[in-house]
Amino acid sequence: MTMTTDVRQAVTARGLKKVYGQGDAAVHALRGIEVGFATGAFTAIMGPSGSGKSTLMHCLAGLDTVSAGEIHIGDVEITKLNDKQLTLLRRERIGFVFQAFNLLPTLTAEQNIRLPLEIAGRQADQVLFDRVIETVGLGERLGHRPTQLSGGQQQRVAVARALISKPQVIFADEPTGNLDSRSGAEVLAFLRRSVRELNQTIVMVTHDPVAASYADRVIFLRDGLLVTELFEPTAQTVLDTLMKLEA
Amino acid sequence: MFRTTLAGLLAHKLRLLLTSLAITLGVGFIAGTFVLTDTIDAAFAQKFTADAAKISVAVLPDGDKADRRQDPILTTGDLAKVRGVRGVADAQGIVQGTAPLLGKNGKVAGSRATAGISVPEGALNRTVITEGSSPAAATEAVLDKDTAKTREFAVGDTITVLDAKQVKHQFTLVGLFDVGVNQELSFTGAVGFTADTARQMTGAKGFREIDVRGGDGVSPEGLRASVAAALGSGYTVKTGTQLADDLAAANNMDTAFIRMGLLLFGVIAMLVAALVIYNTFNILVAQRAREMALLRCIGATKKQVFGSILLESVVVGVLSSVLGLLIGLGLGAGALAVLGAVDAPIPTGVGVSLSTRTIVVGLVIGIIVTVAAALLPARAATRVAPIAALRAQVEESTFRAGMLRIVFGALFLLAGTGITALGVSKDPGQDALLAVMAGGCVFFLGVLILAPLIVKPLSAFVGWLPARLFGVPGKLAVDNSRRNPKRAATTTVALTIGVTLMTLISVVTTTTRATVSEQLDAQFPVDYMIGTQQHDATIPRTVAADLRSKPEFGSVVAVRETQTRIKGQSVNVGTFTVDPEFKVAPVTGSMQDFGPGTAAVTSWTAKELGVAVGDTLEAAGKGYRVVALLSDQATPVYGVSLTEQDFDAAFPEAMDRSVLIKVKDGVAAETSRRIVEAATEPYPAVLVESVTETRGAFDEALDMITMIITGLLGLAVLISLLGIANTLSLSVHERTRESALLRALGLTRPQLRRMLSIEAFVLGLIGALVGVALGATFGWAATQTMVNDVVFRAPVLQILGFVALSGVAGVVAALLPARRAAKASIVGSLASS
Ligand SMILES: Nc1ncnc2c1ncn2[C@@H]1O[C@H](COP(=O)(O)OP(=O)(O)OP(=O)(O)O)[C@@H](O)[C@H]1O
Ligand SMILES: [Mg+2]
Repeated sequence: MTMTTDVRQAVTARGLKKVYGQGDAAVHALRGIEVGFATGAFTAIMGPSGSGKSTLMHCLAGLDTVSAGEIHIGDVEITKLNDKQLTLLRRERIGFVFQAFNLLPTLTAEQNIRLPLEIAGRQADQVLFDRVIETVGLGERLGHRPTQLSGGQQQRVAVARALISKPQVIFADEPTGNLDSRSGAEVLAFLRRSVRELNQTIVMVTHDPVAASYADRVIFLRDGLLVTELFEPTAQTVLDTLMKLEA
Repeated sequence: MFRTTLAGLLAHKLRLLLTSLAITLGVGFIAGTFVLTDTIDAAFAQKFTADAAKISVAVLPDGDKADRRQDPILTTGDLAKVRGVRGVADAQGIVQGTAPLLGKNGKVAGSRATAGISVPEGALNRTVITEGSSPAAATEAVLDKDTAKTREFAVGDTITVLDAKQVKHQFTLVGLFDVGVNQELSFTGAVGFTADTARQMTGAKGFREIDVRGGDGVSPEGLRASVAAALGSGYTVKTGTQLADDLAAANNMDTAFIRMGLLLFGVIAMLVAALVIYNTFNILVAQRAREMALLRCIGATKKQVFGSILLESVVVGVLSSVLGLLIGLGLGAGALAVLGAVDAPIPTGVGVSLSTRTIVVGLVIGIIVTVAAALLPARAATRVAPIAALRAQVEESTFRAGMLRIVFGALFLLAGTGITALGVSKDPGQDALLAVMAGGCVFFLGVLILAPLIVKPLSAFVGWLPARLFGVPGKLAVDNSRRNPKRAATTTVALTIGVTLMTLISVVTTTTRATVSEQLDAQFPVDYMIGTQQHDATIPRTVAADLRSKPEFGSVVAVRETQTRIKGQSVNVGTFTVDPEFKVAPVTGSMQDFGPGTAAVTSWTAKELGVAVGDTLEAAGKGYRVVALLSDQATPVYGVSLTEQDFDAAFPEAMDRSVLIKVKDGVAAETSRRIVEAATEPYPAVLVESVTETRGAFDEALDMITMIITGLLGLAVLISLLGIANTLSLSVHERTRESALLRALGLTRPQLRRMLSIEAFVLGLIGALVGVALGATFGWAATQTMVNDVVFRAPVLQILGFVALSGVAGVVAALLPARRAAKASIVGSLASS
């Protein structure tokens, strides 16, 4: 592997290790991960419970510190940044969709969508905004508060919010984990469309083989190590790989 | 169930501490008040007992109760009778009157005449000589050490004292003494003489008290009986122990008054603390709704849930009351140390302690207030349905103003306004003031009920600027401040109470000051006032005549007064020089008709006498027609004014009581002062007061009172700030995931901290604004009930200061919660449920 960053990679991680706790109680959540995520691709991360999926995502997004290794987002080595620089980087380059509790209850859907831009003090790109709003398909519900929206609608607002600041990468941790299959499908379709139409890079953690099948590529973790990957997955191939992993 | 509660309490020690602190401070203040007054009582009792131990029996004159002006006295004959009783080893008469000490400038020292007392010889001497010796000869005197210090006299100096006829006498100062706990003597200062000299100097016709020491083996009780038998009726004869008990009881009445005053502030503090506790428990119940629901799911009854919350409040109550008692002990000791440091006439040497009563009162108040405040939240907890445990996310509480709330609130506001208006429209007096106070309380209840409704618009108003200045953190903070209107309302109302009272006090004092000084300026533009130290002393008429001859003075008004009986009441009657510069403005009637055969009466006296304009008064055997009623404040003669001719004809022996001087424009202050002093030089008993100085002293006294009251109200404000800190830290806890989300989206730590500070700032400002509005309004209403023509003044700067301080205090209260919120790790907070 060369030392220069591949420009087509939105995110790369090298020799990534994460240890929780010390001594006897130490948990090696990540034990040396080498991975890259291509620009404009939709990647799913899968693996058994406790394999380190969330930890990996948190480290990649600069929400958590790493024990060893380095991470680049674009041309920035985020493992060298302090808290303030990381915060500003998140503001500019990263979008998030969490499993739950994505929206501020005091703000309307539209205000929630605009929030990252406001925090950064940037103007919304009106063309992009209209397009995102159109894609999110909320119409007149934009003026509603989160409690007045269904779970699927809430998650779509969260995705729209992540898209609006044109981040280099969007991280989503089980975005459909709390949804029924129909709402889940809506959100996943929305995610895939934003990859196709807006050339957005998305990294998504999921447990669900069907959700993973929406991605362009699936990587599999086990015991803090990247063990295999699948391109152009279907629900069936993902399921088969998982079965093999757990065996 | 109990174990679950206790485990929950222990898991949140900081929260427990913050909650307890509110009650702790309130109980601490109340306990401190008791500790302070108990200690003072005990110290006085000890001192009286020690003094009384020297006396076997004390004789006091009964006196004529109907005529209070005549001090009852005991004669030398009485003393001789007592000395003749079998078993009496020694008996001494105690003389006390006035004996004005002259300062080094040859004028009477101080604005009050020093007292002249007898210093008995032998074992009955109760005067504590601290330096030198007791007076042994007619040419010797002793001086109390405080007066000696301020007037710069030392043992060996010669001092000059005026006798009752204002003749100067010189004495050698042979010693200094300590007046101890005698409030009267410590106020005026005192000169001590031998018994005979004391009587000559003070002109006392007899003794205040005769102290008796019994011979060996004579019982005080027996001696009391024989002395009483020897004197017959008209005397009170007590044993030394009885005397000490009576003195202590009288003194306890004084401290009871102080205690009541201080406790009033304690009650206000407890009221605020109750609001804080109520709010805290409400939030806790809301936050633990799922926990409660889970308990209900696994079989806990409503009663058990209710009980667990109440148990929690009992633990908080007991803990904070006990802590409060300890703080009270410290406060009491601190207050005593401060009083000792400023040389207050309070005996020292008795240690502070918590009496059983203090402990009981402190515990009962603390526990009852805490538990009572937790009752409603506990009831709310029982309404959590078991199914709530299964819901994914606790819903945002939505607040809709119920019709009932609006109707009740409006009714209270209306009733409060009505009662207040009634008070304002009434004639000034205590009833009117009470009506305004009652109206204020009712109105405040209305505000309390409607507070959740007014919080929203107010936060939009107050937050307008911060939301624009501070970008996203500002906007979010303003949103957060009103997202739970009930919670925000209770939090801010706690602060409102303190700010309302502070504003009210400052409005009332400022208005009082303005009213008094404007009336004086308008009607009596006086530069100097010549008066006397003693109430019954007078100024020779030559002084006014002399001053009138000086070209520097524009007008010189002499005021003569005396007491006479009108309609069976003892009334002040007087006259004053008519001068165009002194506009005596009547409240009703006209001074145009004021001439021979007529009288002008101040309003209060007119009411007492039951006379109105047109009625006729009879004084000293002559009738006078009342032509005008005068203001009670700015009138030269308080009571009945007659013309100079009428007055001099009726009371030819009356001399001037005071002389008012107005200096001509353009005369320098030093020049006029020199002339006034030169004119009064020959009369050592005559005092010259510059009105500017007098007003300065008046202002200072008023400022002092305002400061003390504001300081005492500060406790309530402090407790309400704890409430803001508590609410905020609970809200922060509630919004852990929200904060983490914001941080993930790119809000920096300082921005997150700022967001919470602004929220607290907005809350503080809302509380202060409502308080200032209420305080100013009811302050205005209160001043309307004091006197008729009030000059209303609002201390705008001071009020703005209260508002600004409340905002800043809110920010300070947010410091800790904000720090904790900013320190939390994003990943950890996101995971928390
Ligand atoms: N804060 C922490 N302290 C200690 N150990 C942790 C912490 N967070 C995660 N772990 C451990 O690290 C390992 C990886 O956890 P992680 O949450 O990344 O798993 P995951 O793949 O996301 O699991 P799941 O599918 O259940 O979400 C687990 O063994 C977990 O117990
Ligand atoms: Mg996970």
